Amino acid sequence: MVGSKASTSSIPALTLLKTLTPTELFITFSKIGMSGFGGVLPWARRTLVEQDKVLSSEEFSAILGICQIVPGPNILNLAVCIGSRLCGAKGAFAAALGLTLGPICIVMLLAVLYQHYSNLESVQGLLRGISAVGVGLIASTGIKMLRDEFKYPAMLLVVALTVTAASYFHLGLGWVVLLVSPLALLLAFKKARK
Amino acid sequence: MGILLGLFLKLSAFSLIAFGGINALLPSLLELSVNQERWIDLQTFADYFAIAQAAPGPNFMTVTLIGWHVGGILGALLATFAIAWPSSILVYFVQRLILSMNDEQKKKAIQYAAAALAIGLVLSSAWQIALQINHSYAAYGLTLLTIGMTVFTRWHPLYLIALGAALGTMGLI
Repeated sequence: MVGSKASTSSIPALTLLKTLTPTELFITFSKIGMSGFGGVLPWARRTLVEQDKVLSSEEFSAILGICQIVPGPNILNLAVCIGSRLCGAKGAFAAALGLTLGPICIVMLLAVLYQHYSNLESVQGLLRGISAVGVGLIASTGIKMLRDEFKYPAMLLVVALTVTAASYFHLGLGWVVLLVSPLALLLAFKKARK
Repeated sequence: MGILLGLFLKLSAFSLIAFGGINALLPSLLELSVNQERWIDLQTFADYFAIAQAAPGPNFMTVTLIGWHVGGILGALLATFAIAWPSSILVYFVQRLILSMNDEQKKKAIQYAAAALAIGLVLSSAWQIALQINHSYAAYGLTLLTIGMTVFTRWHPLYLIALGAALGTMGLI
């Protein structure tokens, strides 16, 4: 690979294992975008950390942490962060474009098929089945993340408050965030000090 | 033209409140596109959600499909761009801010707070979306089975999607 400067012995907090050109970034993120069924994040990790060795595992987690704080599609945020770290704004753009271009084409192809065949009983059933699974996949992401919170059970209060505000009182997303974040931050500072 | 501009502006605003990612945003997206703006009906929303799940790629492709429904290829590109640009610019700058933060405790605290919020939003999103698009006990059963299989086994999600597709095609869901 071009300009590989791996220094595995002592990696300072933000050293990248490898440098990639915008074109290479585009290709890497195209691979990630096209391989992700049922969520792309696990594939991003597999490709960037395990296969291409662009980042160390710790760096991936640190960057992912930031991407989850900021609003917006997490995987896209990841592309922007890693792309910009490797080659500035150009890299961010190349990574984001690589991630989305292929999937957009596929999804539009499927949309055309849907337009022609959505009246078929079997197609309607097929989509009902897939969406029931899709909901389950989303729920299980939340449940898996929830496991970590049991290490500091007070934080579960934030989760419960969020669910109540959003599901029971049907508050808009912005209001929920505004309402819950003061308590979340207060508890988070306590948790961090532990 | 008016409808495309509306699509672009509303989705751009959504990008900035999508805490917890697109999955957490789905109920609000449904509310906006089905009930408020009437871009699509509920059934089509549910179907687009399914297509985005079954296709490779990021799950924000539901947004791309809504855009496609409103304005063809231009609509699809516009909707995708709208959901992407504000948060991308934000994260571009926030990343530097957080990485340059020296206070480890502060850094950790922000991440813990965001994680708890994200979990709550994702869980309530799943619950609300289930209420809207699952129409039978069989569908809820399949959702619960999916949760069980993903939490307790290492099955690849693709198998579960294929299972759902098969059961659905047979008319069981």
